[in-house]
Amino acid sequence: MNRTEPIIRFTNIQKKYGDFAALKPINLEIFKGELFGFLGPNGAGKTTLIRILTGIIKATGGTVSIGGFSLEKEPESAKRMLGYVPDRPYLYEKLSPLEYFDFMGGLYNVKQSEITSIGEKLLKLFDLWNKRNDLIESFSHGMKQKVAMSAANLHKPDILVVDEPTVGLDPKSVKLAKQFFKDMTLEGKTIFLTTHTLSVAEDLCDRIAIIRSGEIAAIGTLEELQTKASMPNNNLEDIFLKITEEENLPKAII
Amino acid sequence: MRTLLFFCAILISIVIYFGLLEFLTYVGKGETLGPTLGPVIGYFILSKLLEMLFMALFFMLLFSSIISALSFLFLDEELSTLMASPTKIITIFRSRFILMTIDSSWMTMIFFAPVFLAFATAMRAEALSYLLFILFLCLFVLLPNICGAGTAVLLSSFFPVRQMRKVFQFLSILVLTGLVFFIRSLEAEKLLNTKHFEKVSDYLLSIQLPLSAYSPSVLIHQSSMHLFNGNLKAAFSNIFPLIIILVFGLLALNILASKYYRSAWQFSLEALDNQILGMEWLRKILIWPLKYFKRDFKVIAEKEITTFLRDPAVFSQIFMMGAIILVYAYNLSILPLKDIPSFYSKSTNNALVFLNGPFIGFIISAISMRFVYPSISMEGRAFWSVKSSPISPQRIMFIKFTLYLFPMLVLSLILCTITNTLFEVSHSYMLWLSYFNVIMITFVVTSLAIGVGTVFANFSADSALKISGSYGGFIFMILSGLYIINLIILELYPMYRTTFFKNNLDLGYASPSLFWINIIIIFVCTASWIYIPFKKGLNAINAYEPD
Repeated sequence: MNRTEPIIRFTNIQKKYGDFAALKPINLEIFKGELFGFLGPNGAGKTTLIRILTGIIKATGGTVSIGGFSLEKEPESAKRMLGYVPDRPYLYEKLSPLEYFDFMGGLYNVKQSEITSIGEKLLKLFDLWNKRNDLIESFSHGMKQKVAMSAANLHKPDILVVDEPTVGLDPKSVKLAKQFFKDMTLEGKTIFLTTHTLSVAEDLCDRIAIIRSGEIAAIGTLEELQTKASMPNNNLEDIFLKITEEENLPKAII
Repeated sequence: MRTLLFFCAILISIVIYFGLLEFLTYVGKGETLGPTLGPVIGYFILSKLLEMLFMALFFMLLFSSIISALSFLFLDEELSTLMASPTKIITIFRSRFILMTIDSSWMTMIFFAPVFLAFATAMRAEALSYLLFILFLCLFVLLPNICGAGTAVLLSSFFPVRQMRKVFQFLSILVLTGLVFFIRSLEAEKLLNTKHFEKVSDYLLSIQLPLSAYSPSVLIHQSSMHLFNGNLKAAFSNIFPLIIILVFGLLALNILASKYYRSAWQFSLEALDNQILGMEWLRKILIWPLKYFKRDFKVIAEKEITTFLRDPAVFSQIFMMGAIILVYAYNLSILPLKDIPSFYSKSTNNALVFLNGPFIGFIISAISMRFVYPSISMEGRAFWSVKSSPISPQRIMFIKFTLYLFPMLVLSLILCTITNTLFEVSHSYMLWLSYFNVIMITFVVTSLAIGVGTVFANFSADSALKISGSYGGFIFMILSGLYIINLIILELYPMYRTTFFKNNLDLGYASPSLFWINIIIIFVCTASWIYIPFKKGLNAINAYEPD
């Protein structure tokens, strides 16, 4: 990881829905080769920030820079650097995985030969090769998640944005996905992920940001978070609960 | 915007109402047949027209209700929650039946409302008759919906709805057969052609005979005629059998639903092992030429063609559209123009060619509503994958526009060529004008379908049928109609001038300039009709935030 070279930069990013501020001005830098975890309770603004980053929704204010390209001014170049796996993998149900790869690869102008070879490699990795010609509509949530993850990597993006990567995956696939993310960072790629599975974040992430009510409440490595929370020997779950103040919930609810 | 469109819809309804009222009043008087026989035959013709209208309405509602029933009773996502709840199955069915009845009927009823009103006014109906007619109409509308829901429950017990190809193919054949039967049974051409009758009495007898003695439309037709004539007693006695049929129909539907609805819904969740059926050869042929196009165009077009051919709910509508085209061509081929020598001339044919363009325009609009209008919505919840990609929204819309424009142009030109041949058009100016009209209309209608389809996009709809039958689909049809009217109005002056040119009348100095100004206005208007909806759609797609 090179901490001098931010590959993603959020400057004063905010998002409002009427009077409700889903994201209060957020300033955040993510560095090249970093595996960055973005945590927060439900409705804190994680997915909103990710959707702004991927250009799916527009921020009410502020700027996003991806690999030096402004998302607002050069959206095509900025988006070309990203691969995105959403939390709910809605795909084109009437296509097979291979046809979906052709479609996604085409949108990113990937050579057909590369789509075929990378697609085959990833489908084999995720145990979906024998389902390559079946329609996606017959797939389970986890299988769709794996297809989406494979499709996001067809154009060999510099940055992979993953929203809840382990939801719906079986334990074997979770292990595979974790290893896959580690390998990517070893190749110098950046990963930006959100998760509620704190053990995944603890295992994988170089740095973690915790968002609460649309604001970043804490950011740093696990050790830095432990220091900030004055909980030097506690795990991420305890720190997360303290920072998001969920430890004060009635015991019956917890 | 919505208010403006609403007022446009009201305006069109008023135009239809007064235009039709004028026509029906003229027909009803039968002036050309003399003061004694004229009103008698005029009355019978009005009655016959109303009967045809009810029969057409019945068929339209029947098909529409089967499609709505499959969607509301089997495909809606909220059904899973309802079925898992402790609510009684019959309660779920009844609530869904009410929703499907409203969904399948509201648009048809809005289109038919000014037409029925014109009939009632032409027959000088009293105020009470109007109110009772609304009640009768509601009863009539219920019947095709009962049939539709029953058919859907029965069919879904045998065919998995989620793989609806077979069901829809089956339905399409039924509808096609029904339409052919319907068109043949009308024999509308005989009403205009005295050659078919040796005596006046034969003609009167023929015109008085119901189209089909046992059709439910006959019951509503006869009771409506009595209602419009102020004979309430006869009206109620004629509507009574319909009420009996409805009561029995509702009872039968209740029994059917209590017995089969839950199992049919459960069966609808099952998928077939062999999911890619049949049409692969056609898909391969259609996508083959795409390899010569730009990469982004190729993949988006391939995806559109593939999903189109694999979605039976969309694909099967080709049969229905085919039936409409066949019926249109058939109607033109039986127009008895040459049987009325005083009316027939080559000029008549040429004038009809001028009017034929708008009719083709309406066919193109109807087809676009089914296939082009839903194209953005059909991206569905997978739209995030396009929106997060480097392809700009403008490019996506342009690709969709180009992709659909080509087949629509081919279809409209084929229709235009066939109808020009049937009309034996002799005037080269009229021939080229007809081609010019259909090309202009196709460009505008395609842009409107993409643009309005984006403004009113419903990315969570479970079927293309629901999308095209929505409020936005209605607005699209209204706007298409407005453009066609706009084009015709703008062409009236050049038409008028060219007719005068032909007859060597005095042109005056200003005429050629006015002629060309008019032509420029046509192009400017058409360009605006293409650009504005496209731009509105682009703004909507930019602002859209997928789930």
